[in-house]
Amino acid sequence: MATLLEFRDVSKRYGNDTLALSHVSFSVNEGELVSIIGPSGAGKSTLLRCINRLIEATSGEVIFDKTNVQQLSKGKLRALRTKIGMIFQSYNLVDRLSVFENVLHGRLGYKPAFVGALGLYHESEKKQALEILKSLGLEDQVYKRCDQLSGGQKQRVGIARALVQEPRMLLADEPIASLDPSSSKTIMDHLRHISTSLGITVLVNLHQLDIALNYADRIIGVSQGKVVFDGLPSELTDETIRTIYGADSEELNLNIPESKEVARKI
Amino acid sequence: MKMIRTAGPALTGRDPFTAKRIRIKLLTRSALVIRMTILMLALLTLLGFLTFNYQGVNFFKGVAATLSNFKVIFIQPAFAHVTFQGAIGELLITLSLGILTTLLGAVIALFLSLFAAKNLSNRMTSNIVKELVAIIRAVPTVLWVLIFAVSAGLGSVAAVIGMSFHSISYLTKAYSESFEEMDRGTIEALEGCGASWWQIVWQAVIPSSLTSMISWTFIRFEVNFGVAVAMGAAAGAGGIGYDMFMDSSYYYNLHEMGAIAYFILIVAMILEYGSVKIKDKIRA
Ligand SMILES: Nc1ncnc2c1ncn2[C@@H]1O[C@H](COP(=O)(O)OP(=O)(O)OP(=O)(O)O)[C@@H](O)[C@H]1O
Ligand SMILES: [Mg+2]
Repeated sequence: MATLLEFRDVSKRYGNDTLALSHVSFSVNEGELVSIIGPSGAGKSTLLRCINRLIEATSGEVIFDKTNVQQLSKGKLRALRTKIGMIFQSYNLVDRLSVFENVLHGRLGYKPAFVGALGLYHESEKKQALEILKSLGLEDQVYKRCDQLSGGQKQRVGIARALVQEPRMLLADEPIASLDPSSSKTIMDHLRHISTSLGITVLVNLHQLDIALNYADRIIGVSQGKVVFDGLPSELTDETIRTIYGADSEELNLNIPESKEVARKI
Repeated sequence: MKMIRTAGPALTGRDPFTAKRIRIKLLTRSALVIRMTILMLALLTLLGFLTFNYQGVNFFKGVAATLSNFKVIFIQPAFAHVTFQGAIGELLITLSLGILTTLLGAVIALFLSLFAAKNLSNRMTSNIVKELVAIIRAVPTVLWVLIFAVSAGLGSVAAVIGMSFHSISYLTKAYSESFEEMDRGTIEALEGCGASWWQIVWQAVIPSSLTSMISWTFIRFEVNFGVAVAMGAAAGAGGIGYDMFMDSSYYYNLHEMGAIAYFILIVAMILEYGSVKIKDKIRA
């Protein structure tokens, strides 16, 4: 399988003393679903945002589809970003607009500034957006305003907005952290489907270790800005979990053996 | 910061778990300053009333005379120099002055506020624009009209320019603060889609802030209507204010003043009612 994304010795420093990422290197293959796990403040969100340059890395190289992301001009960066969809813990939709309008925002990157600003879209784009909404089970919500939706529905709108970009990669920053277990499962099932059936590479930050073990093809463990584990879910030992989560691991240990069993069975 | 925070409990010296009367707020230094200020103002007001120079005017006689004038104005209104239709025409002129200056202000403020909002602009541009409009706002509208009257001559042109000028700075502040309330994550999400700055402004920022922008614009319109009445008198801008000025200063016709005052009151009430209705419509 071809490599789609590669981090080469990437570091990110905020101000003078916070080293959020420290010499991070790893690569992700096309079509993989990779989960990044680690305690709060480990640098997971920072890592994800270095890929589409919502945050600028301090040093090192991020290679996406054979191009060095850091060296792209403003226009090229826009083009790159259309190829990378992103979903968020807090959904980040424009609440006052309809589901349909929010999903179509995913097309803005393909348009000249003024056309997109006026909210003019091709019929073909609208059709595509409707089909994606249908595949996510949102066909009855198309004209609803986003502030009338449940959390799970909002996150599906977020996914639809990302998919309408026709991305090669989907970044998900703790997509289920604000959701109940059943909505979480729906969202994770969609992500799994996006990776397996649509062949879109998915990189997902997760707080829930059991879910990461259940859904991911591969797990990257981050602790204090460093990659401390990179391997298959089945290779994750209690020992490595302790190095990733440090002092927090005591509480986690309770349900790990059980969920690891589940992961192996799958 | 640290000093103030530790000063809170020290000032009151109370632990809510052991206190007899439990406070829900700590008496911080800023709360103390506010209380002292209010107390001082109350004392000064009292002192002012006690030391006024009434110059032989009997206070009670004065009040009685004022009340009798009010009676003429509000209980016996009548038209004399202007007709009812004429008053409506003059009123329309005043309203137009209010609408024109509000619209001019709103359009220019919309663009300025994009550069004033910290989350849409860079820090330096934002600071410069904000400082600039703060200075403009510090000078009252009437004064701006008089300043522009130096070059444009006293009249409607000076009134339009001066009133628009102040509206711009007022609305720039109001709009940019609405924009700054915009969720940072939503802007980030659209940046992540590859959307450009103008697209983010028109597709996310303005739709999210529209309700409060319209509210502010309407509030400003109400202000501008009031100023337009005053400008009719003070700057010779015409309109209903001028008629009122003539009644009060030349004809001494309090009956007609009353009629005009009612006219203005009715319009102000209609405006208020309309603004509430519009806001409800947008929210729904
Ligand atoms: N804009 C910023 N300015 C300064 N420091 C920051 C900024 N964003 C993040 N940090 C710091 O960088 C470190 C990594 O933050 P990051 O948000 O990437 O962690 P995370 O793993 O996503 O945490 P969480 O699981 O809580 O979301 C933290 O110590 C955080 O305080
Ligand atoms: Mg995070």
